[in-house]
Amino acid sequence: MRSWDSMDDFEAFLDDGGLVEPGDAMPDTYREAVFRFIELHANSEYMGGLTERDWIAKAPGLANKLTALAKTQDEIGHAHLLYMVAADMGIKTRDEMTVDLLAGRTTFHNVFHYRAYTWGDQIAIAYLVDAAALASQQAVFKNCSYGPYKRILRRIIAEEGFHMRNGEELLLKMAKGTSQQHDLMQEGIDRWWWPSVQLFGPDTRPDDVLLRWHIKSERNEVLRDRFVQKMVPQLTAAGFTIPDPDLRQDPDTGRWISGKIDWDALKAAIAGRGPDSERRLRDARNAWDGAAWVRTALDEAAAVPA
Amino acid sequence: MKTYEVFLKRPGKDPFTHVGALEAPDDELALSFARDCYARRSEGEQMWVVARSELLVADSVELEMADRSHRHNDGALLRDLRKAGDSPAS
Repeated sequence: MRSWDSMDDFEAFLDDGGLVEPGDAMPDTYREAVFRFIELHANSEYMGGLTERDWIAKAPGLANKLTALAKTQDEIGHAHLLYMVAADMGIKTRDEMTVDLLAGRTTFHNVFHYRAYTWGDQIAIAYLVDAAALASQQAVFKNCSYGPYKRILRRIIAEEGFHMRNGEELLLKMAKGTSQQHDLMQEGIDRWWWPSVQLFGPDTRPDDVLLRWHIKSERNEVLRDRFVQKMVPQLTAAGFTIPDPDLRQDPDTGRWISGKIDWDALKAAIAGRGPDSERRLRDARNAWDGAAWVRTALDEAAAVPA
Repeated sequence: MKTYEVFLKRPGKDPFTHVGALEAPDDELALSFARDCYARRSEGEQMWVVARSELLVADSVELEMADRSHRHNDGALLRDLRKAGDSPAS
């Protein structure tokens, strides 16, 4: 177990690339901030997994159903891993985190407060949302100062890469498909473009401790801009349009500049006032309550001597 | 619920590696959950799952603090000696 005499010593350790481990006497403010960040990530994976699950039955064709099944297991699996890492920080137990999530006391990412109506939505999520989430996670993994989180992120990133490639594959299939498929895909892009851009969050504030303590390695606006530079040419080349009438290209640098981003939509979604927040949380509560008998059976089985 | 630690052995020369932890009500389900959580894509050819309460944990101060310099030779003195032409090898 390591300890530090002052916050300055601790920050010097982090600046040197030091990795904090669960047994270390880390400053309470660090423990609290990192815990909240991981809990948000875990909640988001869990809520994402529940949504993905709906598409096991609805995805067209066996191959797509199998992929939906694998992705659902991945997302729920990521939630498992992250909740363990968070629980080991000693602030809340796993059960407390679940209870808080279902009661709406903690948050999850904005993109899981919207509804996926069609297969086009589902592909747009796999392509846009997963790409945005992956970019954020890679930026955290790069310099992440909390050891257990960094090690688990390596695994999560590998699996999210699979989801994103799958999303791109399906998007290109739709681009080359019938006009109905093309329109369905365009509608998906129109619904999911802005939530994906907003997922990166508003510009990072100068006093952001997550950046100072090497949880984030990159400012939100840098990641967001990189996402726009990558996605606009890809979507355009595939024959789709971006639902941003003010999107323009800088004539000198060739860089794409977004129109005004509606940050109120982001705030409302995260606060649980998004278009689909209520139904999503109700779904999660039903899933939890519906599986109560499994938890009871497991506990009773464990109580029987072998 | 009990907490378990999971170790995987990848194919090839690598030793067992700690990959993470999980919660399970008993040993049988711990093995099942470990496969679901950590080996969905054949990440390992062998897996150990150990209840955290059964782990013997060494005191990290004893591991880190003791002077072990007599067990290492960084070669600095040898390099100087060789440069000076005093090394028996030259």
